[in-house]
Amino acid sequence: MKRSPFLWIMALVGFVFLYAPILSLVVYSFNESRLVTVWSGFSTKWYGELLRDPQILGAAWISLKVAVASATISLVLGTMASLVLVRYGRFRFRELFSGMTTAPLVMPDVITGISLLLLFVTMESLFGWPAGRGLLTIIIAHTTFCMAYVAVVVETRLINVDRSVEEAAADLGARPLRIFFDVTLPSIAPALVSGWLLAFTLSLDDLVIASFVAGPGSTTLPMLIFSKVRLGVSPDVNALATILIALVAIGIAISAFVMTRTGRSPEADT
Amino acid sequence: MNDRQSPSELPWRNGSEPFVRIVDVSRNFGPVVAVNNVSLDIYKGELFCLLGSSGCGKTTLLRMLAGLETVSSGRIEIDGQDMAGISPWDRPTNIMFQSYALFPHMNVERNIAYGLYRDGVPRSEVTDRVADMIKLVQLSGMERRKPDQLSGGQRQRVALARSLIKRPKLLLLDEPLAALDKKLREETQFELVNIQEKLGVTFVVVTHDQEEAMTLATRIGVMRNGVIEQVAEPREIYEYPLNRFVADFIGSVNMFEGVVAETDPDRTLIRCEDADMTINVSHGVSCSPNQRLWFALRPEKPEISRQRPDGVENVVEGVVEEIAYRGNLSIFRVRLKTGKQIDLTRTNQERSAEEPITWDDNVFVSWDAASGVVLTS
Repeated sequence: MKRSPFLWIMALVGFVFLYAPILSLVVYSFNESRLVTVWSGFSTKWYGELLRDPQILGAAWISLKVAVASATISLVLGTMASLVLVRYGRFRFRELFSGMTTAPLVMPDVITGISLLLLFVTMESLFGWPAGRGLLTIIIAHTTFCMAYVAVVVETRLINVDRSVEEAAADLGARPLRIFFDVTLPSIAPALVSGWLLAFTLSLDDLVIASFVAGPGSTTLPMLIFSKVRLGVSPDVNALATILIALVAIGIAISAFVMTRTGRSPEADT
Repeated sequence: MNDRQSPSELPWRNGSEPFVRIVDVSRNFGPVVAVNNVSLDIYKGELFCLLGSSGCGKTTLLRMLAGLETVSSGRIEIDGQDMAGISPWDRPTNIMFQSYALFPHMNVERNIAYGLYRDGVPRSEVTDRVADMIKLVQLSGMERRKPDQLSGGQRQRVALARSLIKRPKLLLLDEPLAALDKKLREETQFELVNIQEKLGVTFVVVTHDQEEAMTLATRIGVMRNGVIEQVAEPREIYEYPLNRFVADFIGSVNMFEGVVAETDPDRTLIRCEDADMTINVSHGVSCSPNQRLWFALRPEKPEISRQRPDGVENVVEGVVEEIAYRGNLSIFRVRLKTGKQIDLTRTNQERSAEEPITWDDNVFVSWDAASGVVLTS
């Protein structure tokens, strides 16, 4: 069948609309000029500048630590939540629990940020923990919303896992914990990988929530970029943003690859 | 199979101690009663078939034996031990699932060995036993393959090997052959019987395929709506069904409805309006006068001829309406004057008959008094 040229044009317009800004950012990150909007030749000097800036490197390190920690914690909690939702059968308030698990997906970041800030302040004044705002509070905050994404991703996979395979393991002498590690975990592993990567990238690019719950000395990368841009866009921010885009793109590509590849093979011919 | 043993050796006939005892077992799912007050004894070395259409509760009963489903009320004993509160991983049973439920991320060898490792069997012994089992189910050369690289028949054999490797006292099979095509299914049926005899394990097989049940089973339990309608050997189930459901479910049958005209211990006369005849049966029935009865006649029992036969108790006249040629046999559909149909089969022993009975021929259908069975429900 011959596709109409109209579809091609629509696709082109859509992609240009989505990716032209990002492309121009990537292009200008290789600009030699100090003025962001004036092209004066190809150069990678802003990337070099970036690596010599201790402030940026520090912020990047903090962001990385936060992203790894919150992705890992939300992976554990999100998987547990999805196990309850899929495996516990019917229980009272199941629908409510299901809704509440996924609510952070649609909650505006500003509200999540304010509510968490209020909670942390109240908790500190009541039992002195967490003491002040910093790395820990950002990790907790990011975990709360990343967990919802992990739960949704793992739940989708878990629904499709054949229960009789777990029953077969039980029948052959495996106890519940053993069954989980021998059978359930390998079956949902692709979803765990992509859930973790999704949480990692979400945490990495969060600005709003981090701004609310961060303290002195715990500036994440997006916060730093934002504050730099307010003083005028400098070319090294372009370079930094390009690196971030590359990181996120790689993460998403890997998770998509893992999901499609392993999602297909076992059920392929049945 | 039961023909090989003399009747007195059959454990369900000589009062042996049953191996599996199911006593008044029920299972409800909310308001739905899946298994309703079932009692059943299964003997050591049996190949017992639970036969029924889908949703009759047969799989639920099997899963209760494996411990995968809880018992709402009643008691299950295996080898004298009460199974209440015993988890599936502690039961002396293994189950083979309809979907086979192979571990998708493990190869054939590891799938089969899984149960032994869970029991802490030493590695060298596991290797030997798995190798023997792979030979038994004829999967040599497939050891390193993953389930998605196997054909349906090979997966079926991996599943069987995996459930046999722990030498369970009781092997439960849920529709073991349903996913195979007809040819492979017939071969595997005999293979299954051979393995069962070789290992002496007690099998309980769930199936909806009555032919499969007849081929495999030492005894068959026919289930409907969570209740067992009849438990008997294949021959008895076929020739002496207890009620209309069983008669109709196993094989095909011509059913005549009528009213009892006369009965004594070795003779019953049934006045049958829809065939406009009185059917003569050579056995007695316990029933009240004028009770409604059914007479069941298997299609291979009656004779068909152009001339009225002599000396046969039951003769009825009709017209051949349909002939279906099936190769090994032909099915004749005869319509009586009253409009009732009788189906009957003839084996095609000769390759060409001289004057075969054909469409629209006027024929007589006849059977002697011992050919059919009277049913009261």
